[in-house]
Amino acid sequence: MVTESIDGILPRETIEPASAEDVAATLASAAQRRVSVVIRGGGTKMGWGRTPASVGVLLSTKRLNALVAHEHADLTATVQAGARLDDVNRALARHGQWLPIESAFEESTIGGAIATNDSGPLRHRYGTPRDLLIGIRLALADGRLIKAGGNVVKNVAGYDIGKLISGSHGSLAAIVSATFKLLPLPGASATLMAKFQRTDALVDALAAIIGSQLEASAIEVRTGASEEKSGGAVFGRPYRLLLKFESTPGALDAHLQKARALLGDASCEVVSSQSESDFWREHTRAPWISSGMIVKLAWLPASLDTVLAHVDDLRASANDVELIGRAAIGSGLLRVDANSRIQRNIVERLRSRTDVFRHVVVLRADAQLKQQLDVWGPLGGAGALGSAVKHALDPVGILNAGRGPV
Amino acid sequence: MIDDQLIGELRHRCGNDAVLTEPLELLTYECDGLPHLRQTPPLVVLPSSAEQVQDVVRLCHRHDVPFVARGHGSGLSGGAMPIPGGVVIGLARLNRVLDVDIPNRRVTVEPGVTNLEITRQVAPYGFYYAPDPSSQQVCSIGGNVAENSGGAHCLKYGFTVHHVLGVEVVLSNGDMMHLDSAIADAPGPDLVGLLIGSEGTLGIVTKVTVRILRRAEAVQTLLAAYDNIPSAGAAVSEIIAAGIIPAAVEIMDGVSLIAVEAAVHPNFPPAEAILIVELDGPVAEVREQFAQVEAICHRAGATTVEVAKTEEHRARIWKGRKGAFASMGRVTPNYYVQDGVVPRTKLPEVLDRIRKLEARCGLRIGNVFHAGDGNLHPLICYDEKIAGQADLAAAVGGEILQYCIEAGGSLTGEHGIGADKAEYMPKMFSDDDLDVMLTVRRAFDPKGLCNPGKVFPTPRLCGEVPGPYRAHPIEKAGLGERF
Repeated sequence: MVTESIDGILPRETIEPASAEDVAATLASAAQRRVSVVIRGGGTKMGWGRTPASVGVLLSTKRLNALVAHEHADLTATVQAGARLDDVNRALARHGQWLPIESAFEESTIGGAIATNDSGPLRHRYGTPRDLLIGIRLALADGRLIKAGGNVVKNVAGYDIGKLISGSHGSLAAIVSATFKLLPLPGASATLMAKFQRTDALVDALAAIIGSQLEASAIEVRTGASEEKSGGAVFGRPYRLLLKFESTPGALDAHLQKARALLGDASCEVVSSQSESDFWREHTRAPWISSGMIVKLAWLPASLDTVLAHVDDLRASANDVELIGRAAIGSGLLRVDANSRIQRNIVERLRSRTDVFRHVVVLRADAQLKQQLDVWGPLGGAGALGSAVKHALDPVGILNAGRGPV
Repeated sequence: MIDDQLIGELRHRCGNDAVLTEPLELLTYECDGLPHLRQTPPLVVLPSSAEQVQDVVRLCHRHDVPFVARGHGSGLSGGAMPIPGGVVIGLARLNRVLDVDIPNRRVTVEPGVTNLEITRQVAPYGFYYAPDPSSQQVCSIGGNVAENSGGAHCLKYGFTVHHVLGVEVVLSNGDMMHLDSAIADAPGPDLVGLLIGSEGTLGIVTKVTVRILRRAEAVQTLLAAYDNIPSAGAAVSEIIAAGIIPAAVEIMDGVSLIAVEAAVHPNFPPAEAILIVELDGPVAEVREQFAQVEAICHRAGATTVEVAKTEEHRARIWKGRKGAFASMGRVTPNYYVQDGVVPRTKLPEVLDRIRKLEARCGLRIGNVFHAGDGNLHPLICYDEKIAGQADLAAAVGGEILQYCIEAGGSLTGEHGIGADKAEYMPKMFSDDDLDVMLTVRRAFDPKGLCNPGKVFPTPRLCGEVPGPYRAHPIEKAGLGERF
């Protein structure tokens, strides 16, 4: 998973600063020399973004990996950008708390999570990293270190620069450290896995679940996974709906029973303990360990039936098609393994259906495909406004040059 | 500059009745919910549509006239206070609910729609809009977006920024665009996340799409009476330590209790501190955790624990809490409310310092606070007819903010910086921190026309003697000193 080149382009130098001041100095020096800087956390998403013309400095946050403070009684923690999510959560668990940010990759870091605002199935309940972020410290392209937000969960003093940085993909500033609100670890959890042979049955079951007053932590839809491939799947069948519940030990069973009752005659299975965590790890990693293009899609949740029909249609031109997504939010990953002409064609088709898909971003694609399309897609007014902010914060244009969304 | 030509063009675009210039009409717009900061506007425009807002902003841009957007004027930091020589753009006429989309769990409204109206629209379907500032019956959603409003239930459900899916915004040059937020998976920097809470300094929002939530299956509320605040605070700490995140945790002190009892008669038991705890969620879970909370409240020394048995009872408890500010008139001619935040564990220490400050300054200080997230609302009582008291109250407020910053907290949890606290910003942020915010602001608004003079401290004028700020009355009175 670890890559030192970016789309095959080798950085001229790699720098691993050991302090916030060194990060700032690295940026200032690069700006002065007018060389581009790509920031690397765990190196798990280096292929995301456009292919850059060249890379001057690869700035690794590897050595900035400390858990600076865990104020457990205040439910907050401050962490350096290069700290791995898994390591952070292992430390927080000592006080029965966690930062509910997931990643498909073991090496993922705090900085990378914020820069990409990437999330997993638990987004249904806990939101994306930007929803948990309460303070941030940044190194700017001109070498200054600044902060925004603070250490308290409720705070509206000044601009929320942390939100601006969320999803900026390293194009505006380098994240040095961040403060998050935390949550208590749930007392108990279990997952109900349901299989449907028809999309309309899944859509009806989903409507019943989200129309009820059950409070799931994750509601996932999944079609065309590897299991079905070997068994000779017809279209995306079976279509799966996965419901994760977290609650108190005494209340968990009641949730599972209510949910089961709403799922009709679907075939269901409940997993808990280690098999549950193993299942979710596999689920989150599934698209990334198989080959092909990966596209992030956003749709209006009530149009799930249209989305599933669309995905099934894709199977006419590509054999290996998989969709994994947040059913109640309308957000998911589509993986398509086919030649680059077909892949490009699929992206163009998805982008032309603006009535169904609000955002279509290509996360993983081979170099050839990236030459043929803009991975970010049309950004509209946000593109112009984002560029104005980029120009203000990084006037020389060194940060993630030619690669980021702005 | 505002001249007859600009006024004529505004009348032409928006209609005669939408352009106010008569002194008597302008009076209404002198201040927002923070009445001691006043400024008579030279001109108020009341557009009726997003396109008219765009026209007005374009004209202001062409004439280099600054402007301030105003919702329903319930803000508590002077964010909507008029700007000298600037236009007030009142958005009260943009009050249409544009789309109630239950299947997709979202509602799109114009900025003048009130916070509570969104819940009213979706309540018949079993949904609600989560952020619930105490002013929710009157405050506008546009104002909520400007201030990133929270409310009593934000401990569990978050603030406005956690619920806005997208906005339509008019920038200072009159460009209008739709922006999706990160919640709607917009790629790139979360510009909507930045806009929310920017207090009208980056643009004017003309449409807002918010997500709505399914009503919780169960809600349980209790009220615990204590004869001192630290005991109530200890109960809160134990609830959090037990891994329970209540929907709301509120504490009211003796002064505020006298006021609400006189004004809205919630019939609270006599106490020096009232703790309100609300849990919501699935029945089985709420039942289990509520029993734990009840036990914790007793253990912390509650003299009475009252569990709301009916919806009316629960409503009465919340009426007492949400009516606290408005009730202060029963105990004081005027009051000044502050909004500082401290890490929750620092509450006892900071409350103790406020108690000592109260004894020194001679003004009564009531306190109503969101105990779960450490957001204080000190209510500083004063009488504006007594010379110097208003200034003293403001200075006492500043002193309390100093305590909050020293405890590692913030100047404001939900009311915003506005005109009220701009001068305190350097206490929380370095020059570089503020400079970056201003840099971002210039990218949005190069001419600085959107609500200037708010949020950021006014730069010192040329020729002004550099050095510390002017002495506060509290310093002159020997009650406090500079840090």
